[in-house]
Amino acid sequence: MAELSCDGRTTRDINAEIRRLVAAGEAVTVRSPGARHNLAVALLERGEVVFEGSVGYYCAGLMDGAAVRVRGSAGWGLAESMLSGEVVVEGSAGNSAGAAIRGGTVVVLGDSGARTGVSMKNGVILVTGSCGYMSGFMGQGGKLIVCGDAAEALGDSMYETVCFVGGRIADLGNDAVVVESTDEDKEFLDAALARYVPSSLRPNLPDGGGFRKVVAGRKLWNFDKAEWRTWEEAL
Amino acid sequence: MCGIAGYFDKSGNAEAPVGATVLNMLRALGCRGPDSAGVALYREQSDGDLVLQVKLGENGRSQERAEEIVGKVSVLSQARNVSTTGSYLRLSLEEPADPGALGATIESVGSDVEVVSMGRRLEIVKQVGSPDRLEETFRISAVRGSHGIGHTRMSTESKVDLSHSQPFWAHGCPDLAIVHNGHITNYHKLRRRYEQKGTRFYTENDSEIIGVYVADEMRRRNSLEEALAAALVDLDGSFSCLVGTADAMGYVKDPFAHKPLLVAETEQFAVAGTEEVAFRAAFDDSLEVREAGAREFRVWRN
Repeated sequence: MAELSCDGRTTRDINAEIRRLVAAGEAVTVRSPGARHNLAVALLERGEVVFEGSVGYYCAGLMDGAAVRVRGSAGWGLAESMLSGEVVVEGSAGNSAGAAIRGGTVVVLGDSGARTGVSMKNGVILVTGSCGYMSGFMGQGGKLIVCGDAAEALGDSMYETVCFVGGRIADLGNDAVVVESTDEDKEFLDAALARYVPSSLRPNLPDGGGFRKVVAGRKLWNFDKAEWRTWEEAL
Repeated sequence: MCGIAGYFDKSGNAEAPVGATVLNMLRALGCRGPDSAGVALYREQSDGDLVLQVKLGENGRSQERAEEIVGKVSVLSQARNVSTTGSYLRLSLEEPADPGALGATIESVGSDVEVVSMGRRLEIVKQVGSPDRLEETFRISAVRGSHGIGHTRMSTESKVDLSHSQPFWAHGCPDLAIVHNGHITNYHKLRRRYEQKGTRFYTENDSEIIGVYVADEMRRRNSLEEALAAALVDLDGSFSCLVGTADAMGYVKDPFAHKPLLVAETEQFAVAGTEEVAFRAAFDDSLEVREAGAREFRVWRN
């Protein structure tokens, strides 16, 4: 187990040190992150990193395989374009959490901002609180689980991302539709909640059967002149 | 880019360290806007006087101009506590019947002379350069008061000088100031509309329209809350804004949540800022922050 303080160091230096310690097989605890940007970006090896405090923009972005925990909040673009790994934020996350992820899991044990999971390609995003405006926008794959409420325009212009919402959906985005959950969905949700949500939070959250499933209605997948009005509205 | 920050003491304490708090937040946000920095701070003024901060212009004859302005003002009302700092003349006076005429009288001294702020509690100082330079010139860290808002600017559409810096005072409306991060895309259309009604614009900065707009809406609706709600309909583009009045501070975020704005609140104070790094620089780690949502607006008032 190795400790590293951010005080008096540049972000480049901190990230180089994190990479060096992870490569040496150390579990790394990072103190005084002070909400600064770009921490643990492009961490390409398996390992464990814990931030003792809030992080800024793009934390754990472009990551492949590590487990990152943030004992605080995260700014915009949390885990952006991650390939694989696990990022857990104990506070809230800013806009675009899990943007364009290609795999791995992003867990926010609080609220997440606008455009959560925008353009995600695969992987899982789990938010125990509520998510902001236009979450799931243009999602191409993977699953977005929101235990609380979803703000306006949920799942706008999606491809194959599946959203599950436990609370209220303010309104659905263009081409987003609510469909019946399957038994498989419920099992998946129960397993995800059991694995990632601490038991202290569980009593306030729905179980796997208490989510609504939102997918693309596929009306915007192919352009059809006969449906011009739908397109006019969507664009 | 640009960084904005605001602090509001909810306990009615008129001696809260607003200057130091807003300065610390702006220093942390400085890299978002290296072009200029400014603050609008609200504090008790002696004798209920109206306080003015006046830009003395760019012709280098500051002292001469200061004397000329004091002379002109004295015809309307006795100028008190006259001082000059940096490019500014500061003075206070008993509120005249027509504050608008007061502004016009001062600005008649030169086309580059501008009343930067006027209010019973509000004082704005802003200039080109970093928050550290602002502190060097004006010692804002020593200012105590009830609330304040601040700005660090990265100019994208208009020039870098004192007048184009933020905060903007809503000319003619004592105590109303705004800071803005974003772009108002229907600025030219709105500006034309106000100019036709006789409003003078001092800059080419799109953010200036927000002060003009909020002042106009507050005159019509008599409520800051309603003015902010109306802004969500009438202003296009991206905006996270903070608005200060004599007894309140509010924020509004655009319908697409284009721009960041975080808020935090305790029993004693409310605080808003562009990035969490500003909160971590000014407060201890126990203060929890959250990102304001699209279309979100809120007002704190004492």
